[in-house]
Amino acid sequence: MKKRRPLEGVRIADLTWLLAGAGGPRLLASLGAEVIRIEWRDRLDFLRYMPPFASRTKERPEKAGAMDLTGLDTGKVQSVNRGGYFNDINAGKYGISLNMKAPQGRELFKKLVAVSDVVVEAFTAETMQKWGLGYDTLKAIKPDIIYMQQPGWGYKGPYVKYASYGPIAQAVSGLTEQSGLPAPHPPAGWGFSYMDWSGAYYCAMTILMALYYKKRTGKGQYLDCSQVEPGIGMTGTAVLDHAVNGRHYQRTGNRSPYTPAAPHGAYPCAGQGAEKDRWIALAVTSEEEWQALVRVMGNPDWTAQDRFVSLAERIKHQDELDRLVSAWTQEQEPFGLQERLQAAGVPAGVCQTAQDRIERDPQLKHLNWLLPLEHTEIGTWPIKDIPFHFANGQVSQGGPTERAAPCYAEDNEYVYKELLGLSQAEMDAFQDEGVI
Amino acid sequence: MNGFLFDVKVLELADEKGEFCGKLLAGAGADVLKIEPPGGQATREIGPFYHDQAHPERSLYFWHYNLGKRGITLDIESPPGTDLLKQLIAEADVLIDAQPLGTLEKLGLSWDALQALNPRLIYVVLSPFGSSGPWRDYKATDLVHLALGGQMMCCGYSPTEDGSYDTPPIAPQMWHAYHIAGNQAFIATVGALIGREMTEVGEMIELPIHQAVSVCTEIDVPHWIYGQTPCYRQTGRHAQPAIGPEVQFPTKDGRYSIILPNPFPGGYETLVEFLESKGKAGDLNAEHYKEPKNRRGRAFTEHFADIQAACVADFDMEEIWHGAQELGIPWSPIRLPEENPDDIQWQTRATFSQVEHPELDESYTYTGAPMLPNQCAWRQGPRAPLIGEHNREVLCEQLGLSAEELADLQDKGIV
Repeated sequence: MKKRRPLEGVRIADLTWLLAGAGGPRLLASLGAEVIRIEWRDRLDFLRYMPPFASRTKERPEKAGAMDLTGLDTGKVQSVNRGGYFNDINAGKYGISLNMKAPQGRELFKKLVAVSDVVVEAFTAETMQKWGLGYDTLKAIKPDIIYMQQPGWGYKGPYVKYASYGPIAQAVSGLTEQSGLPAPHPPAGWGFSYMDWSGAYYCAMTILMALYYKKRTGKGQYLDCSQVEPGIGMTGTAVLDHAVNGRHYQRTGNRSPYTPAAPHGAYPCAGQGAEKDRWIALAVTSEEEWQALVRVMGNPDWTAQDRFVSLAERIKHQDELDRLVSAWTQEQEPFGLQERLQAAGVPAGVCQTAQDRIERDPQLKHLNWLLPLEHTEIGTWPIKDIPFHFANGQVSQGGPTERAAPCYAEDNEYVYKELLGLSQAEMDAFQDEGVI
Repeated sequence: MNGFLFDVKVLELADEKGEFCGKLLAGAGADVLKIEPPGGQATREIGPFYHDQAHPERSLYFWHYNLGKRGITLDIESPPGTDLLKQLIAEADVLIDAQPLGTLEKLGLSWDALQALNPRLIYVVLSPFGSSGPWRDYKATDLVHLALGGQMMCCGYSPTEDGSYDTPPIAPQMWHAYHIAGNQAFIATVGALIGREMTEVGEMIELPIHQAVSVCTEIDVPHWIYGQTPCYRQTGRHAQPAIGPEVQFPTKDGRYSIILPNPFPGGYETLVEFLESKGKAGDLNAEHYKEPKNRRGRAFTEHFADIQAACVADFDMEEIWHGAQELGIPWSPIRLPEENPDDIQWQTRATFSQVEHPELDESYTYTGAPMLPNQCAWRQGPRAPLIGEHNREVLCEQLGLSAEELADLQDKGIV
């Protein structure tokens, strides 16, 4: 039986950018949707200027284009098609150039809407209205269109014009405050834009729900998404703890917030030079796991002391317990220790770096988590594949293009000629006029 | 209004690994039936608890992650239990299985058997590391997943002056490993439901949580792939190849605010104007700093951070960020989760809602829809099922057991 892509035949006009916006359509491409990323040269996705870049040589890639406090230095980039991060976030998509600020550009966009199932955009709130492309217009063109708007804080509500990026959504929702060592330490927050990924997940989830509804009823709809609300949805237990018990959330560092466990945290391991920042996470919840840990430690005398005799006692004397466990772990090589602890039945895992996951982790390798995909300008690079494995359907991050991210305007021929029926002469004219 | 997944029936055999996915499917309108072992799922033991009373009906964790589901108890490993499970599977669209690997197989319910039972079934398996491979039998928790997945090495506090760390990497705990896995499992599940409209056949989806978590970091992976450059964790901001400017500053009331650099043209100037309007721009209006080239480099970065810090320190956390945001400056308070229900934005969007607990004669604030649907409804209740609450409804009314048969199963400890 020929494998089919679950979203075969679904076309998405993608007016998003960055990760929070562009990540959702990426996931839909992995499921087989034909995602057409629309860009314009005067305001390109910042990710096209963001390092790391694919180098033309074996040398380390150039660091130009980094964002500092005073904005992006877009002038230093050799080519807008070489950004490694952009390549990952836009894998599996088609790419076209289209000047939405030009009236003719908007007419072309309408033609694309007529043959699309979904329009998704992450402009500031009134942009599409201003261009005469609000939901009513889109619906008039394509009655069953699914239109998703995702300004950072949502369209409805007084904060419609507020800016949001991952760290802002994390801070407002409560996720930043929840991460870190207990006060008086400040919050540690997140070392990446978790809410950009979450924004991407909920963009994809919401479009999928609407696509399913459309399959069953024939109806499209308008969806108002924010980047912050999915974060709020992940703080529900703390919200309830306050509603029910009047308790304010307090950070616990790496200690177990709600399940009794000790030792529970990151413990230092042996390492030298660049490897000296080495840690292993241990999470010991049951008596059985504790006994297994004691055995792996070689039954040191201290473990028999009254203050460590039960889980309740171990929790009460956690500072001392952590000191004693650390004194032992810091003599151990991390991956060997992980292996021995897991073999004995102790939940343990090295705090892995990107290098560890890419070069060392045998399980990720076994799962083929990185997919080599070709990019027209920079060649074949590993792209993070989606983590769901389908038995029947054809699902992978190559999507229908079976390619990494598009170069700028790479698929103009396909979209304008094949999909929209423009002639070469018409395309040339639009190009000359700065429309495409 | 209909839910999005108004005609989808889901069976859930899951602990914390799969409960979040089930909760989202219920929110999206699916009929989610949670099958718990007699006595209740072990996740009922996770705190915090109602009035701090550890009790299987009082776990606030369980309340939150099982909102909107129905629940039955069934010992699926007993022959009558297996038989009832099969009857339920025959009528289901989706089966979420986050049990220890091989649990269903041992009952004669391999993927082949499941397909024979229900050719349209979408079978979703969430496991810590996947069903094969060298780490297949590793044990994991939220913390261990966030360690192995790379989150911890990205999160934490900045190193000391000499570049060494005196604090460990930090796991942003609170079940985010399972949130990350649940969100992606939802995507796969609804994708498969859409695909089934075309193929008319079911699907088996495997989702190894370790892989789901490992793909949910940002630039650390591309930096290694494209440049073999490590990223270093730093307080409140992205792990990067170099230590970047501070963005998190203490406020007058002992809290914190975050101010991000605005990458748009004019973003920096707008921030300086705003600081000036508060009388806190320091020397940033000096001619010297009008030249962009004089605003690069570490010395300026630190100077600029000091100026922002001095401004933030003069105001309470909630005091001036609105004014900044109205000018397009990405500035926000670092809130506690429980502070959001009071915010006008979320009140306008009905982001939170009250859920009734009739047994307690109370209703409590829950987080609600993760977006604002307009033509479809997001299911926001009823509260999580009590242990075996829907046994009669499902086993008698739906599957046709008599009251006596149900009582007999109860006596035998099967339900």
